[in-house]
Amino acid sequence: MAIAQAMCTTFKKELMEGVHNFKNSGGNDFKLALFAEGTGAKGSTTATLGAATTVLVTTGEVTTSGSYSTGGASLTRVDPSASGTTAITDFADLSFTTASITAMGALIYNSSASNKAVCVLDFTSNKTSTSGTFTIQFPTADASNAIIRIA
Amino acid sequence: MFELGISTVGSVNVMTSDKGGLTNEQIADLAVDKIVSISNEAPAHIRQQANQFREHLKNVLYHYLLLAKKEERGTIIQVLESNGHKEMAEYIRRL
Repeated sequence: MAIAQAMCTTFKKELMEGVHNFKNSGGNDFKLALFAEGTGAKGSTTATLGAATTVLVTTGEVTTSGSYSTGGASLTRVDPSASGTTAITDFADLSFTTASITAMGALIYNSSASNKAVCVLDFTSNKTSTSGTFTIQFPTADASNAIIRIA
Repeated sequence: MFELGISTVGSVNVMTSDKGGLTNEQIADLAVDKIVSISNEAPAHIRQQANQFREHLKNVLYHYLLLAKKEERGTIIQVLESNGHKEMAEYIRRL
């Protein structure tokens, strides 16, 4: 699969190096960019994203449309917290409006740290908006579902 | 000896629309998904009750979403009419 959901391996290492800061106040600027497989992407190129992804790539990113522009958009951070013995962090839902987008997945990356990759999201099928809204809803922020969990 | 933990990425929910914004039903679905999560490992009767609650909650949210939009539209119409934009007010009334 060209887009495989994963926490990027370099991100795990960089966590130990103190590269990423998810705090709501004073944290880094994390962004979400959308990617497609085959048609839908720039020049019909196919994105290859997974655990081995280290930084933001442009191959396969969806084209600018409506409120979506190349590189994606900044995420609103929610302070990291603990749920039982699991550390979690969350982001506010993100919407792109009046956009014609076809995307199979997304990359969350840290634009404050040389666009280093955080994680890859696999939508499992192409999601399409036509002159409409493309909304990404993050899961409930708990130990079983949160977008980023470290147990 | 250290015990290694696990790091995991959660699954997002993607909602899209054509030629306009999300529908009231889609927004109600998004809200309910954020409020209620039902474990696959819960006993069947608990899951059944939770699903019924989920449906009820969705209906309530849907009703109040409609009401909120209607009321906001009413306020916009009133502002437009009181500023002499009767044609535009009528257009919004028909949406």
